[in-house]
Amino acid sequence: MRLSRLASVVAAVGAATLLLAGCSSSSGGGGEASASPSDQVLRIAMTEPGADLEKVWQQVKTEYEAAHPGWTVQYNFQNDDIYSTVGLPSLLSGGNAPDIYFEWSGNRLQTRYADGYAASIGDQLKAKGVNDRYVDGAFGGTSVDGKTVMFPIGKDVSNVIWYNTDLFTKLGLTAPTTWAELDAVNAKLKAAGVTPYAMGNKDLWPAGNWNGHVLSRIVGEQAYADALNMKSPLDSPEWVAAMDQMKKIHDSSWINDSVNSVSDNEGYTLFFTGKAAMTPIGSWLVDVRNEQAPKFNMDWFNLPAIDGGKGNQQSVLGVSTGLVVNAKSAKIDQAVDYLDILSGDDIQKAFVAAGSSSLSKAGAATGLNPLSERLLTLIETAPEIVAPPDTGYNLKVADALNTATSAVLGGAMSSQDALTQAQQKIDALK
Amino acid sequence: MKPNRGWTPYLFVLPAFAVFAISILLPVIATFGLSFTRWDGSGPLKFKGFANYIRAFHDSVYVSSYWHVLVYVVATIILEVLAGLLLAGAVSARPGTTFYRVAFFVPVMLPLVVIAVLWSFVLNPDFGLLNAGLDAVGLSSWKRVWLGDPNTALLAISVISGWIFAGFYMAIFYAGFARIPKDIIESARLDGAGEWTIFRRMKVPLVRGITEIAILLCVTGGVQVFDLVFVLTNGGPYNTTEVPTTYLVKTVFRDQEVGYGAALAVILTVVIALIGLLYSRLRRKTADVEF
Amino acid sequence: MTTFDSTHVSSPDVHQAGRKKGLKPSDLLFHVVMTVYAMLFFLPLLWMAMSSFKTNGEIFQTPFALPTSWDWSVFATAWADGGIGRYAINSFIVTAVSTIAILGFGSMAAFAFSRMRFRGSGLLLTLFTLGLLLPIQSYFIAQNSLFEYLHLKDTRWALIIPYTAMGLPLAIWLLKAYLDSLPKELFEAARIDGAGDLRIYWSVVLPLVRSGMATVAIFSALAAWNEFLLALLYIQNDELKTIPVGLLAFSTKYITDYHLLFAALTIVTIPMIVIYVLFHRRIAQGLTEGSLK
Repeated sequence: MRLSRLASVVAAVGAATLLLAGCSSSSGGGGEASASPSDQVLRIAMTEPGADLEKVWQQVKTEYEAAHPGWTVQYNFQNDDIYSTVGLPSLLSGGNAPDIYFEWSGNRLQTRYADGYAASIGDQLKAKGVNDRYVDGAFGGTSVDGKTVMFPIGKDVSNVIWYNTDLFTKLGLTAPTTWAELDAVNAKLKAAGVTPYAMGNKDLWPAGNWNGHVLSRIVGEQAYADALNMKSPLDSPEWVAAMDQMKKIHDSSWINDSVNSVSDNEGYTLFFTGKAAMTPIGSWLVDVRNEQAPKFNMDWFNLPAIDGGKGNQQSVLGVSTGLVVNAKSAKIDQAVDYLDILSGDDIQKAFVAAGSSSLSKAGAATGLNPLSERLLTLIETAPEIVAPPDTGYNLKVADALNTATSAVLGGAMSSQDALTQAQQKIDALK
Repeated sequence: MKPNRGWTPYLFVLPAFAVFAISILLPVIATFGLSFTRWDGSGPLKFKGFANYIRAFHDSVYVSSYWHVLVYVVATIILEVLAGLLLAGAVSARPGTTFYRVAFFVPVMLPLVVIAVLWSFVLNPDFGLLNAGLDAVGLSSWKRVWLGDPNTALLAISVISGWIFAGFYMAIFYAGFARIPKDIIESARLDGAGEWTIFRRMKVPLVRGITEIAILLCVTGGVQVFDLVFVLTNGGPYNTTEVPTTYLVKTVFRDQEVGYGAALAVILTVVIALIGLLYSRLRRKTADVEF
Repeated sequence: MTTFDSTHVSSPDVHQAGRKKGLKPSDLLFHVVMTVYAMLFFLPLLWMAMSSFKTNGEIFQTPFALPTSWDWSVFATAWADGGIGRYAINSFIVTAVSTIAILGFGSMAAFAFSRMRFRGSGLLLTLFTLGLLLPIQSYFIAQNSLFEYLHLKDTRWALIIPYTAMGLPLAIWLLKAYLDSLPKELFEAARIDGAGDLRIYWSVVLPLVRSGMATVAIFSALAAWNEFLLALLYIQNDELKTIPVGLLAFSTKYITDYHLLFAALTIVTIPMIVIYVLFHRRIAQGLTEGSLK
């Protein structure tokens, strides 16, 4: 090989490409370039809704296409872990970028807005009377910089503790209201040969959410937010003590051994098949239950009050979800039309009938599934709403904390070591 | 041969070069360029000098990913290359072994993702074949959450890798053995040498060149392992199976840190190039017995 | 580097004495050990195929038992409703186009490099050789940005172009080695007959490198069929996904419908195994030769 010659050529071309890259970025860096094509297709990306709800989305498509001759709606449903990490970013920067996409409120939504992917749609929605059709507070969490940039779909309670009612009845247990009572329930279940909790934490967010809630209750909401915003360390003695709650769960074998190796869905299956009595997860478990184990009887209680905790002991871990109109789309008007149809009374009633919740007045009046109804009330009347680590805060910080949680819950590390390691990762980001 | 016209050779090379340059050469150079910047993939580029590289060496997850990949590579040299060599020795020592050769090679044909999904079921702690098998033979105490336990996850991935590629290296060595002149082996047999002696004293030394290439393939391929890890653990539990490639993909696509990811990619490329270079140095020193 | 001569990688050196005497105890032991070892390869595959016919309960409770009923419709469900058929078609298109491009472009370039003298040929060949060594990580990040900029992502081109580029260095290397080994009289005779470059390529080069082309085709096609990373990153549209990424999507979508998942796995593995068993010698040789360069 003529290495020296090769090296000089590589260097020269390298310099040229750098210049090129620099130029292209100063002229928009693919900004306009990644706008969606101007054909008559409305592209919508979201997480996999499940078969029943998918039918309702298809119904929206049918209505939209009937009202807009020549136009088609194209859905892209993705597994939620892939969607939230690789999928959506790739789609947004790709050639067929979606005109409307699903997103979580909080840090994620702010980032989309800052990157120019979230259109301000408040005035247009108001003009169409969409807001009037929705319950008070439905649009909470949908604004950034005072602009409405998200159409609300739901208010997900990201963590409550679900329990198998038949099993609880059989063992004479009732839903606990304090942490001490919960410990007693766990001990009784264990004594009866039943694993208290089932969870599939391979992707880190399930236990991450749960423990995020526990941590915020113990150290207080402000301290929780400060640490996740990198303003204060999360390896203080107070945090270590709070983290010990997860250690206790591991040390007492209160959770399935496979916790860190199975996916969230497999965790639900363990719960539905009676392999464990409880599963700490969000409001969407109702949809999953309706789809997978319709005969399974379950109920939920919010995270019990923790004695001596500094946070509001009635706090709810939650996040608003909704659809965002891509600011780079050439079809913003059509997208808003779609949202208008989506907010229609019949559609919202159909969503409720299919087992989902609804923030529209008509939908809410239809009589939700009682479990969902109570969850909606829970979040609407919550004195304090805490954001989950991975939707509310920087993803790398969330990943560091959630990794620590999983290490402690899996018994691989002490609370101190896990948090020290997490803090080191966070320090490296500064 | 002199071409008809001066420009015809270029015409013949052009299609290949165009595709290659656009898809590989240009991106290689651009990745190098990007590694000195901070870029989220769409906004403005910011020149950062060596900041990304400095950060990489302080990034505990990234640094530890090289330790994990080292463990994986050492394990796979044993489970793939050495196992392949022994298998080749076994199937070439006797007649009527076509069936085994075909069987051992089957996994090489299948997409790694498919194998990974299949094995994630085999190792599933709740209904997997392996734990059920251990129960069935009375070894229940050996049951593990194979992919969820930091002590076994990386090893499990290595074993799966061995399951796939041992047959591949077997095929390579088998082809090598087949080219050893038969009379050498036969005369050794007539002198009363056993199969194991022939294997160790004659066959193995005679395919030394192939062995060296096989190890190089195993090492450079191992450092780039992605599919298996992505599907089976995606770096978990607690980053204990994080390898450079999985971390790279997370950095670029989940965290949108394209500049930093590019620096991680450059480091990985340099590591692979160094391994190749070091290896060719070592090889030149050893005697060249080639077939 | 070592190159294999494809003509005589055939008969292994077999134990002549063993044939005459019939089965010795040591032979029996040998076959028992090897069969047990071979079971390690077949057991998971067998379990996979069998589990396609079982209910979730049976998969959990009696993992080793035969299915109680043979419901073949599960395969149709996986193929049609689950989209495995669509993924297979996508894989086929991407694989076929990129393999044909590799063979065409690669043989043209190999012909020029092997049989023509021109300025810059050394440098160009060095660049292609470099391509043999460059890992995918050295370029996929910028390639991703470039494809975004060119609006190639979420089109089949986003896979066809890189797969072609990734296969070309090997194709050029192997085919050039084949052409180099041919006597130059062959080409000169054609030239004296008045054949132009294109004609020589078409009627002399292509027929002569057929065996090398087969190796390249096997290697490239398998690489394209099995590629995962780029397919994961570049294709989000379910209509365009190839088998590896599609199967992953399938496995998360039907995560609790285990027999459907096993059916999908069976559908994508069994045909590959059948093809392999039919052409095992050629395929094993193509793969090993391709990897050894």
